[in-house]
Amino acid sequence: MQKKFMLNYVIIGVLLVWAAWQLIPTLRYEMMSEERKEELRMQGDLEPIQERIIRRGLDLQGGMHLVLEVNVSQLTQNIAQNKSQSYYQFMNQVEEQFTGQTDRDYFDILEEMANTQNFRLARHFPGRGDENPQIVASLRKEATDAVIRAEEIIRNRVDQFGVSEPTIQRQGDRRIIVELAGVTDPERATNLIQSTAQLEFVLLKDPEVVQDAISRIDAVVKKVDPGTLKDTTTVEDRVSQDKEVSVEELFGLTEDQADTEGDSTALVDETIFEDRPFSALLRNLGNDIGVPAENYYAVNQVLQNPEVQRVLPADIRILWSNAPETFTTQDGTQKEFYRLYFVNRDAGLTGEVVTDAKATLGGMDGSNMGQPIVNVSMNSEGAKTWSRMTGANVGKRIAIVLDDKVQIAPVIRDRITGGRTVIEGLTNIEEAKDIEICLKAGALPAPVDIIEKRTIGPSLGADSIRKGTMSALIGLLLVVLFIVVYYRASGIVAFVTLVLNIIFVLSVLALLRATLTLPGIAGLVLTVGMAVDANVLIFERIREELRKGKTVKASVDNGYSRAIITILDANLTTLIAALVLWQFGTGPIRGFAVVLFWGIIFNFVSGYFISKTILTTVTHGRTLKKLSI
Amino acid sequence: MFQIFVNTHYNIVGKRVYAYWISGLLILAGLLSFILQGLNYGIDFRGGTLIQVKFEEPITAGEIRSLLKSPELGTPQIQRSGPNEYMIRVLSIGTGDEIQNMIQKDLQEKTFEVRRAEIVGPKIGEELRRKAFGAIFAALFLILVYISIRFELKFAIGAVLALFHDVLITLGLFSLFQWEISMPVLAAFLTIVGYSLNDTIVVFDRIRENRLTHKNKAFPDVINLSINESLSRTVITSLTTFLVVLILVLFGGEVLFGFSIAMLIGIIVGTYSSSFVASPLLIIWDKKVRQKDIKKK
Repeated sequence: MQKKFMLNYVIIGVLLVWAAWQLIPTLRYEMMSEERKEELRMQGDLEPIQERIIRRGLDLQGGMHLVLEVNVSQLTQNIAQNKSQSYYQFMNQVEEQFTGQTDRDYFDILEEMANTQNFRLARHFPGRGDENPQIVASLRKEATDAVIRAEEIIRNRVDQFGVSEPTIQRQGDRRIIVELAGVTDPERATNLIQSTAQLEFVLLKDPEVVQDAISRIDAVVKKVDPGTLKDTTTVEDRVSQDKEVSVEELFGLTEDQADTEGDSTALVDETIFEDRPFSALLRNLGNDIGVPAENYYAVNQVLQNPEVQRVLPADIRILWSNAPETFTTQDGTQKEFYRLYFVNRDAGLTGEVVTDAKATLGGMDGSNMGQPIVNVSMNSEGAKTWSRMTGANVGKRIAIVLDDKVQIAPVIRDRITGGRTVIEGLTNIEEAKDIEICLKAGALPAPVDIIEKRTIGPSLGADSIRKGTMSALIGLLLVVLFIVVYYRASGIVAFVTLVLNIIFVLSVLALLRATLTLPGIAGLVLTVGMAVDANVLIFERIREELRKGKTVKASVDNGYSRAIITILDANLTTLIAALVLWQFGTGPIRGFAVVLFWGIIFNFVSGYFISKTILTTVTHGRTLKKLSI
Repeated sequence: MFQIFVNTHYNIVGKRVYAYWISGLLILAGLLSFILQGLNYGIDFRGGTLIQVKFEEPITAGEIRSLLKSPELGTPQIQRSGPNEYMIRVLSIGTGDEIQNMIQKDLQEKTFEVRRAEIVGPKIGEELRRKAFGAIFAALFLILVYISIRFELKFAIGAVLALFHDVLITLGLFSLFQWEISMPVLAAFLTIVGYSLNDTIVVFDRIRENRLTHKNKAFPDVINLSINESLSRTVITSLTTFLVVLILVLFGGEVLFGFSIAMLIGIIVGTYSSSFVASPLLIIWDKKVRQKDIKKK
């Protein structure tokens, strides 16, 4: 070996040792059996290894990816006070504008509309200044804080849920990204994260108020399309009291809604259907209003109808019970019912006062024997309000509402002092535990909407790994075959540099704790293609020089020095594309960009530098008459 | 030495008129399809719900369709993705979770496993679409700047026009066959941009070099010589890259299909355009500039 290449070989040697050092943990981890992993985990030795391996993306190992957006409009509603009819009207208009536009900030719209309509925000947001811009600025700040707090709270909940290596990060000023690898019950996880844990204690409306509201709704529904209503009520079957009608018939859906195929049916009480079409959807469940499970959709549609919302008093809120209950009807069949509650819009007391929560099975005495319950304790301020609220409304009913679902609505028998209360009406102990987690971690300052959710099952992930690695290997094999046949001995040099390129890219991934995704594997495959290009460029140049009759040594030297300019120009442009992808891409796309980026970088290292070192050593050492190229 | 395309003297520049026809027709067909049927945006860019289910017993797409009874689902798109495995796509209506539950409830009488469920809100879909196209244009612009610095403006314009050409044709084919445009497909588009440029720049490099060594030759002849000299490299590299991407198309599975097919088309079109479109465009530009110079004199 000549002295002038010593430095080159030292550099290459150092690079190889570094690559090996980076990759060994991953290799060890991949080759470990599950039992061994479990054993190491128990000893606490697994984590240091996991810190240093190339992680698999959700698309390769299965899991859940969530993008949450804090509902700023709801947050604003929660802050507002002195809510009057005109307030609701104004806010609804803002809301409408906001949902219709994709790229405008909620507060921009709020400010603009308040200004054009001369709506004084100061009346509903006291203590934040007199002028609209001032108030909007303070609300905006509160929203930003809310997002930061929401991130914190979600992190706490996820930690208690127990998933390994969750990723939680803020994106932009309203969004939070949550990634949970290997989640087996995505629905439970989603509920846990999304639950606002907004606990409320709300008084139920008096029966007369409820009756009045229902008749108003009846009037609206009847007016919508009297023609169709009449047709469906021709009495044919007198035996059954209930009759099925399609939801479209019931309240004349708008055309685009009605376009859907098939028909969903609702169960109506035939005798009162014609006069009071909404009431016909409801049943009596003792003191409560029951809705047969099959009418859930129909009733919801009616309640969400803007016409209906307009005729309802502003201070009414209509809530569902949290789960259906099974009852036996008059004809002896089992039927599922939801309860429908009419409550005050303003909660008398909210979960902010909760200091502790504990899920347990109810004791031997009392009504909730053996049932899952959550014991809730409040701080002194909460206890005071609670005591005042219960004391003033003895004999009335109060709903315990969690995330807009009524858990239970008992009659207040006595003043409750000491700030303790119990949440009942839960379906299983898991639900109780989740409620406990949520209440302890604190309530989200505002509801979060899931705007993107991707769940990938572990079996699909395994499939993807198999297919991805297989394609990568086959691709590599074909390319190597071609190169070795075409360039012979020099082709082997190309092959070595190709493999080194891949090894280097993987080492960097391990170093950066980057994640390998399926598009990442595709990026690796593409890197192989690009790495070949550098070799081809060089070898073709060398051949050209040889054809011109130059010596082997001169040809090799010229080939490399000429090709480098082209390689630089060609690869730098791809580098630009990779950087742009990196910048704008999310998740898997970013994985692709990262691999492509490093692939190109190491292309210079292995495709040019290492290959040059090898070939020039060979050709400079002795006077070669022929080069195998 | 085992070689292909050595010392070729194809008159590629002379045949550029044919190339203009071919490219023109392809772009026109793509544009027509684009106007008539548009692009088939996946749920990534439109919002919606995708569920991939694998059934235990054999089932057809028709049977699945007949099982889906909830009226809110509208007309879902059902696509086979493996043995007894299907992807069901429903465009943005209601909240995704509800849609997912409905599909699962409707299919209840069969045993199946949910392998993948993706829900994208309509708002975020539109946002992603806007961002993605912004990214493509940002990339094009940056590349234009880079080539202007490294070469001359006319090279940059030739290269970027060739890029537009490649992206237009690939997009046109996606519209024509109504292949779905998803996030990975968009990544492929950006890679095509990089790759096609790779090819073009290799030829440009030769032109730059040959202009210095063959000063007495006319510009079109220099271009022709350069394309011929680079032909061997162009074909070999394209062939190897084509091979690896073809493997991805064949074995990469349906998740990567859109990505790999876009890459495959991009490689073919990109290789063609670097020889037949980008360099000949230089001649047009060169002629115009020369005519202006003559007028000035």
